[in-house]
Amino acid sequence: MENEDHSPDNSTEPAGSVKHLFHELISYLIKLNAAPLSSGLVYFTAGLAAALVIGWVFFPIALYSNDVQPVGFSHAIHTNPDIVDGETEAERCAYCHGFRDDGSFTGIPALSKCMECHDDPESPLGESPEEKRFIEEYLAGQEEIPWHKYYTQPDCVYFSHIPHVKNGEIECKTCHGDHGAMDSLPAYKKNRISGYSINIWGENIIGYKTNTWDRMKMDDCAECHTKNSHEENNDCFVCHK
Amino acid sequence: MDPKDKKITERLGINRRNFIMLAVGGAIGTALSPLPWKLTDDIAIWTQNLPWVPVPATGEFSYAKSVCTLCPGGCGIKVRKVDDRAVKIEGRTDFPVNPGGICPLGMGGLQLLYNEKIRFTSPMKRVGARGTGAFQTITWDEALDTLAERISGLRDKGNIGTLAAIDGNHSGSTMPVIIERFLKTLGSPNYMRMQTSQDTCETAAYILTGTRGNVGYDLENADYILSFGSGLLEGWGSPGRVLNAWGLWKSGDLRDSVHIVQVEPRASNTASRADSWVPVKPGTEAALALGIAHVIIKDNLYNSDFVEKYSFGFDDFKSADGVDHKGFKTLVLEKYPPEKVEEITGLDAGDIRILARDFANASAPLAVCGRGKGALYGSLYESTAVLALNALVGGINRKGGIFINEPLSVAGLPVLEPDISAKTALDKGRIDRAGSSFFPFSQSLFNNLAESVLKENESPVDTLLVFSANPLFTIPDAGDFRKALDKIPFIASFSPYRDETSMVADLILPDHNYLEKIDDIASPAGLQYNLYGLSAQVVKPLYDTKNSGDAVIELAKKIGGPAENAFPWTEYEQVLKARVEGLYEIQSGLTSYDGSSPPWQRSGSIVSPSYSDFDRMWEEIKENGLWYQQPYTSRDIEKTFKTQSGKFEFFSSLIASSLNGIDTGALGIKASGDEICIPHFEDASLKADDSFPLRMYPYELINLSSGWIPNPPYLNKTLLDDQLKKDQSFVDINPDTAEQLGIKHGDMIFIESPQGRIQALVNIFEGAMPGIVFMPLGFGHSAYDDFLRGKGSNPNEIIFGGKDPLSGQTVWWDTPVRVIKA
Repeated sequence: MENEDHSPDNSTEPAGSVKHLFHELISYLIKLNAAPLSSGLVYFTAGLAAALVIGWVFFPIALYSNDVQPVGFSHAIHTNPDIVDGETEAERCAYCHGFRDDGSFTGIPALSKCMECHDDPESPLGESPEEKRFIEEYLAGQEEIPWHKYYTQPDCVYFSHIPHVKNGEIECKTCHGDHGAMDSLPAYKKNRISGYSINIWGENIIGYKTNTWDRMKMDDCAECHTKNSHEENNDCFVCHK
Repeated sequence: MDPKDKKITERLGINRRNFIMLAVGGAIGTALSPLPWKLTDDIAIWTQNLPWVPVPATGEFSYAKSVCTLCPGGCGIKVRKVDDRAVKIEGRTDFPVNPGGICPLGMGGLQLLYNEKIRFTSPMKRVGARGTGAFQTITWDEALDTLAERISGLRDKGNIGTLAAIDGNHSGSTMPVIIERFLKTLGSPNYMRMQTSQDTCETAAYILTGTRGNVGYDLENADYILSFGSGLLEGWGSPGRVLNAWGLWKSGDLRDSVHIVQVEPRASNTASRADSWVPVKPGTEAALALGIAHVIIKDNLYNSDFVEKYSFGFDDFKSADGVDHKGFKTLVLEKYPPEKVEEITGLDAGDIRILARDFANASAPLAVCGRGKGALYGSLYESTAVLALNALVGGINRKGGIFINEPLSVAGLPVLEPDISAKTALDKGRIDRAGSSFFPFSQSLFNNLAESVLKENESPVDTLLVFSANPLFTIPDAGDFRKALDKIPFIASFSPYRDETSMVADLILPDHNYLEKIDDIASPAGLQYNLYGLSAQVVKPLYDTKNSGDAVIELAKKIGGPAENAFPWTEYEQVLKARVEGLYEIQSGLTSYDGSSPPWQRSGSIVSPSYSDFDRMWEEIKENGLWYQQPYTSRDIEKTFKTQSGKFEFFSSLIASSLNGIDTGALGIKASGDEICIPHFEDASLKADDSFPLRMYPYELINLSSGWIPNPPYLNKTLLDDQLKKDQSFVDINPDTAEQLGIKHGDMIFIESPQGRIQALVNIFEGAMPGIVFMPLGFGHSAYDDFLRGKGSNPNEIIFGGKDPLSGQTVWWDTPVRVIKA
């Protein structure tokens, strides 16, 4: 039976090799408690644990991209009342993210907006190397900055800012969080399958939210409409034209 | 048993049961994690956002006002934009031509702009064999230098007469003026503009009234429309305007009070929606017009006031040299009794009588001419006959009649003084002999050009410039022009599109697309009042293209000498502005329109201009794209007639003097004596041998572009199953004719003329006149992109006709053919 004996104890592998170490480990485990290891419960638990780790830990990481914005930008500097006009916070936001005459929302400002202050490529307004890069790469060549947009709703959703902000008097941060105070832009995380920003589904993989700005799904719209006695706005065709 | 003795797989419990346990654990673990649920959701979303699903651009919405220059109709358009992207074209309600409406081609115009596959994106030179479409990108400097050197070379060698230009720009607009100026200043008389029915009608009006201007039809005020083949619903005139007029006739207060009669061999959309459809043999329309005139004269239903006061040559007369001449009345009474017209046209004599009486008894009868869309020239004698019919009922410059308008009073450019060498070259005359004593009434004759290029050993054209035209595809001559182009040593195309003609060119100097450039339209086709439209740069040019106006100016500067002196401007817009100054000088006309009082109503009092100086006026015209005048009133009627007699001439003294001493038989005129000078019917039908028993008649569709403008794919989608099926187009054939030929619906056939054959599928159609096969124009492209290339057959490839008497143009509406089952 010599030829059939493959027990680790009798391993002929040279000591110190990986294979040898593996054999040592297995034999140790067997010695520890041989019978339960081969029981179905162990296998079941192993499968369960591995799947849970993949599903809860690795999957959310793999699902989203991790893109850096083309240029660093500090909202904190740009919402400083000493720099930007506007008495209230909302007015200061609207300096760049404003409304056109027809009531439509401008969203991310175009380069022309930046140039209202950054009008001279020769003289930067601050010391930041990112401003210098902005001037050299975009301002000088009149090239629009290809910003990643955190809050773009899908094409099937008709969303208008003006009834919410002007008529509903909802503060910007109710939906967008207090990023006006942030010094840098967070990484942009795009769902690799659906193509949507993580800010629509929310950071939490199961969609659990603690703040009003954590998520921007249809239920969140409806929740707020209901809370503020505007249930009529939950009708399909209000948003899905 | 000692565990040591067990196999390792046994000791580890690696067996089927545990494997399943692992899998079950994994499955339950997966189900308890967000992975499957989130993944399902995301995949569902992904399927809604496939990359080819068009998503509208976001950004600032705006409208840019402009004027459509795709056809000579001059409709006002507004282009909806999102930031810099044009997303929709609509009709303007603040433009008098087309109150809010536009045609399908005008709506599909964006597909001409945003389609890199059908456009040239930069200047190019040919590198492969001709026709293979192998081009190499070059700079504008290189392109203009190449052409300037070639033209200078011709001038130096004394061969400038071999320079020719083909121009598809609209009659009366500025581009034709500067292209002709460019040629003339160098010494070449060979400027050729693509001829339309507008040109034919204007020439007919010139022959009978002495005024060469825009011929307008007061459709909105007429109550009896007798259309001689004009496709009122197929894109004739300004489509936006005519479709609106049709709406006026058929709805509201006017409902059932306007009678529309369509004379056409095929039941087109216009014919099937008209009140009466009068099918006549193609080319015999003039006989019908004169048959109607016969009944009107015989029954004394003509407008005797107009005829007596304002016409000449109606009755027999004695000329100054004492010779007796026959008048219109005598000839018409003699030659066109209804029974005779029945023989010619195939129409019942009784019907002709009814038609004539209805026409003459209407309070504002209007006879309209210009076959189909009017994009191709017509028969000159036929146009004079239709015009004479209008005159007979007094419908000249009268509400609801025909308006012979003065040409738009744009300023002329500084007078040219060709130098000695240029003068010598100009005196040699045109290659196509248009305007010569043989063809006094034609401006351009492409058939003669092709003929002389093909006849001579060395092509009389060395360098050909092509502007806004695709003659290879649109000229109805069975491919003669294509063969002629092969012999021409150098062709430069200014087309923005990769059309058939550009594909055989040696040099490409691409123009902007019509939405990218400022250009003008003078007096839209068929409009009854004078109007000047100015298109605007709706979007910034997408590619490295150049307004052909600017290209010509730069070219002239590069050639230098007299050419440079003739073009003192630095850009095309200055030329436009210089011409508009002529409109300022007459101190009338409006630059805006609010939609409340259409000019044709003539209800509003004459409003004084809103501008006080010329610069202000120019700014207003640039903003609104518009300048227009109230229509003529009957008070102006006498001023209209600038003939020798100062009257409307039923007997044209112009024809008499122009053809004096010419062998009219050689011009294909079968009539003799006084009849030559009087509107009459000429049988120009080409007799082929008995093996070609049928005739082929090309027709046009409003949703299929048949000119040099490519058809936008949107329009292809609107074509019916019996017009285009996969890659085959259809011919319409009458059921009886099909039965005689032994063919049925859907059969593949060859249509063969003495000049070649094309294939098509059979569409059995009761609205087709027996003995004639009807083919749509606009199919059969070999250039552009997959949406256009290789779809259907182009009837132009087999058209074989005689020459239209008097004009000398090829008859395209009557080709002898036979049908062979494929």
